[in-house]
Amino acid sequence: MGQEFAVIGKRITQKDTPIKAVGAARYGGDIKLPGMLIGKVLRSPYPHAKIKRIDKSKAEKVPGVEAVITLEDTPKILYASSFRDQPMAGSGSLQRADEYILADKARYVGDAVAAVAAVNERVAEEALQLIEVEYEELPFATNPKDAMKPGMAKLHDYAENNVAIRVTYPLAQGDVEKGFKESDVVVEETFSVTKQSSGHLETQTTIASIDRIGKVTCYSPCQLAFPLRRELAKIFNLPEGMINVVSPFVGGSFGARLSVYNEPIAIMLAMKAHKPVKIEYSMEENFTCVHTRTGDEYTVKMGYKKDGTLHAMHIKITTWAGAYLGRAQLAGGIMLFWGLGHYRCPNTAGECEVVYCNTTPSAAMRGYGNPEVMWGVEQVVDMAAEKLGIDPLEIRAKNYKKAGEPSNMGLPIESTYQEDCVRAGAESIGWREKWGKKKEGTKRRGVGMATMTHCSGAYPLLIEHSGAIIKFNEDGSASLIINPGSPGTHIWGTLSQIAAEELGIYPEDFHIVTGETDKTLFDLGSHASRSTYVTGTAVMLAAREAKEQLLKRAGKVMGVSPDELEIKNRRVYVKATPEKGMTVEEVVRGAMWDVKGEATNIAGKASFAATAVSPPTAAYFAEVEVDTETGEVKVLKFISVMDCGTVVNPMTVEGQCEGGIQQGLGYALTEDFFVNKETGALESDNWNTYKMASSADMPETEIILINKPDPKGPFGAKGVSEPGLVGVAPAIANAIYDAVGVRITTLPITPEKVWKALREKKS
Amino acid sequence: MKKIEKETVNLKVNGRQYQLTIEPWLTLDEVLREQLDLIGTKRVCGIGECGACTVLVDGKLTLACSTLAVSVRDKDILTIEGLAEDGLHPIQQAFVDCGAIQCGFCTPGMILTAKALLDENPKPTRDEVKEYLAGNLCRCTGYVKIVDAVMAAAEAISKGGE
Repeated sequence: MGQEFAVIGKRITQKDTPIKAVGAARYGGDIKLPGMLIGKVLRSPYPHAKIKRIDKSKAEKVPGVEAVITLEDTPKILYASSFRDQPMAGSGSLQRADEYILADKARYVGDAVAAVAAVNERVAEEALQLIEVEYEELPFATNPKDAMKPGMAKLHDYAENNVAIRVTYPLAQGDVEKGFKESDVVVEETFSVTKQSSGHLETQTTIASIDRIGKVTCYSPCQLAFPLRRELAKIFNLPEGMINVVSPFVGGSFGARLSVYNEPIAIMLAMKAHKPVKIEYSMEENFTCVHTRTGDEYTVKMGYKKDGTLHAMHIKITTWAGAYLGRAQLAGGIMLFWGLGHYRCPNTAGECEVVYCNTTPSAAMRGYGNPEVMWGVEQVVDMAAEKLGIDPLEIRAKNYKKAGEPSNMGLPIESTYQEDCVRAGAESIGWREKWGKKKEGTKRRGVGMATMTHCSGAYPLLIEHSGAIIKFNEDGSASLIINPGSPGTHIWGTLSQIAAEELGIYPEDFHIVTGETDKTLFDLGSHASRSTYVTGTAVMLAAREAKEQLLKRAGKVMGVSPDELEIKNRRVYVKATPEKGMTVEEVVRGAMWDVKGEATNIAGKASFAATAVSPPTAAYFAEVEVDTETGEVKVLKFISVMDCGTVVNPMTVEGQCEGGIQQGLGYALTEDFFVNKETGALESDNWNTYKMASSADMPETEIILINKPDPKGPFGAKGVSEPGLVGVAPAIANAIYDAVGVRITTLPITPEKVWKALREKKS
Repeated sequence: MKKIEKETVNLKVNGRQYQLTIEPWLTLDEVLREQLDLIGTKRVCGIGECGACTVLVDGKLTLACSTLAVSVRDKDILTIEGLAEDGLHPIQQAFVDCGAIQCGFCTPGMILTAKALLDENPKPTRDEVKEYLAGNLCRCTGYVKIVDAVMAAAEAISKGGE
């Protein structure tokens, strides 16, 4: 494009940031409604058990208890916590509904069995203790392998051997068997990835309130407010318009809040008690019940020609779904799209089986299968490079896709600057000087890298639809009415910059009106790194319409054709004679308060459904130091190079990349999902047992932004939030191999694993 | 069965005096949030691991989730709401300007910890800042811009002579 932007590309702080700095931002737990009760959930202590009988009579008698519910009190409608009918382009419903509001059978330690609403937390907890539940324990399995063993009890009646679904890669190319035979080098390896917790600080909190005509208000941190509304409407047999989903500030999400959690329980309690009910998870409940990243064990097989051309590729996955399907159904299959669709390859195939077991359900976490699968793929690429005697940069360069080729989603790639990413990162880390050198001493350093392709919204796999309204005030400011969610990514600031650029005004001129499904147009919400690309385009189009109205009105007032006018720095002026003009404020004030019978509002509205595919690409470079005596790995430096199209706000994009490094670091080295094999209980259920990186653990970081425009994105922008994380772990694994010659294939890379591998290598 | 009596305590929070009659087992974060509607102090892990409940008591870093409210009677309690009467304290301004705030949930605890650091050590190095903030977890930012902000605040404060 090469054009100079007025506000795109500037490091501008989002308007609401000072509210957070002074502690005035209200998150779910900070909201109090008059008469509000506190809800608490009784959870199964057994990983797998029939529920024979529940006696709630004693609990109901506790003074201060206003409602006690069990499954019998709820509409017994099966739903999918990940929105059963989330519309899939073309293929209809894919997500199976497999849970009730309260469990018909306990399927994991933590499964919701009953619930109480009371005047305060202590009374609610006391009442929970008095609910008598008779369980009949069943055999349980805390991992997919055990769950699939013949004779193991079924978690769900329909799933034989606890396999929920089998998926075959629909974009398969050529003939993989033939392709491997034709390859000069074939590498096959098995990998496993752990159920990473989103690690957001704000625990899952919902408030439900029913008014006198039966309209439900549901405060929820869900990232997808409209799909939530639709699922709740189905569960409670209400028209969607009788539910208003309100989004408070949200304390982090990273994909965990894509699912339905305590909303139906809170609504049920509120309906019974005729008072608002708040359910706030404890941190232990948050770790136990909020869906984690999907765990998987998978095999990657890649066949290369002598010159490094990728010729055949096959991936086979067993996906760990947990007690309910959640988003694991899609998360497993989508790994095939990411893994098999990143490099050009004429022969591809893949399969995935999704398995139930008696643990916390798996769902979507930042990257949604891409971090999981690139962990293995980028290591196999390095292994093949070694066999061929080619440098890891060179083997990858042979196989990057170009713009116009089919993307990982199938449709043509609108833009890719993958090579720019690799070049910039390699130079900055000093690849030539550091990689592949002879290492000595007890502490050895190495460098490693990884690449990836993600998405800016998930068309054609999923619906892409966002809407925006811009309505002007007489002071020249405007309400930007949107609903992309507020997980903390500063999307409102980005959208303000896009709107301001289109209109010729400033980002601070926008008042953000958001967070209620009653007030805004449909927006799918935040996921799949879609908001800048899809909501951004809707905002740009709404701004364009508002601009047309401004110019039309100004033209009328000034006696010129709107085509002769432009807007810059809040002023509408005649292009040929710029001194002739009027401010935006004057135009709107005159229009809104016109006394001559020609009053009008100045506003723009747009809906946008993305149908193009503009995938972000990235390169990740890690420098590590491995202590060969202890196996400890220290990441010294990490460089992320991001191709996300035009960078709307560098400060925001850097923040996404830096946060991604923290999450990737934990995924690679310290975060793990520990289930007690005897009891089935989750042991990594708070910050003392679930270790994520603190500020002291962070390496030196560098973020490089390529900033080259995409033809379809708003002002050329693409998505970026998930890519921040995707390639971090494999870059570290490859760096460890460069440092000490051992390859760790299971996450996380603990010192014990490295130490053991080093001992085995010696012998 | 012996009944545990409520206690009447004087709590001095952000320079204001409050007389509250509360159960002695209530933690400071519960009292601040429920009784005084000072919701800036967050309730997160409840076991003193994440730092989101950080307040200053007589200038010292204190985990409100692990402190009984009755145990800090008559002491000077500072929460995030008390940091600046009007406008923003230089540390808050620096957090805003440097992009150190994403979801904002860790922010109150981070800012108060930064205040304690700068009160103790007005010219810290980056490494000293990283060490000092290690008890405040953040999942959004990767800490990079938080450290930038504390360094910027240190400079602003030394220039402004505050």
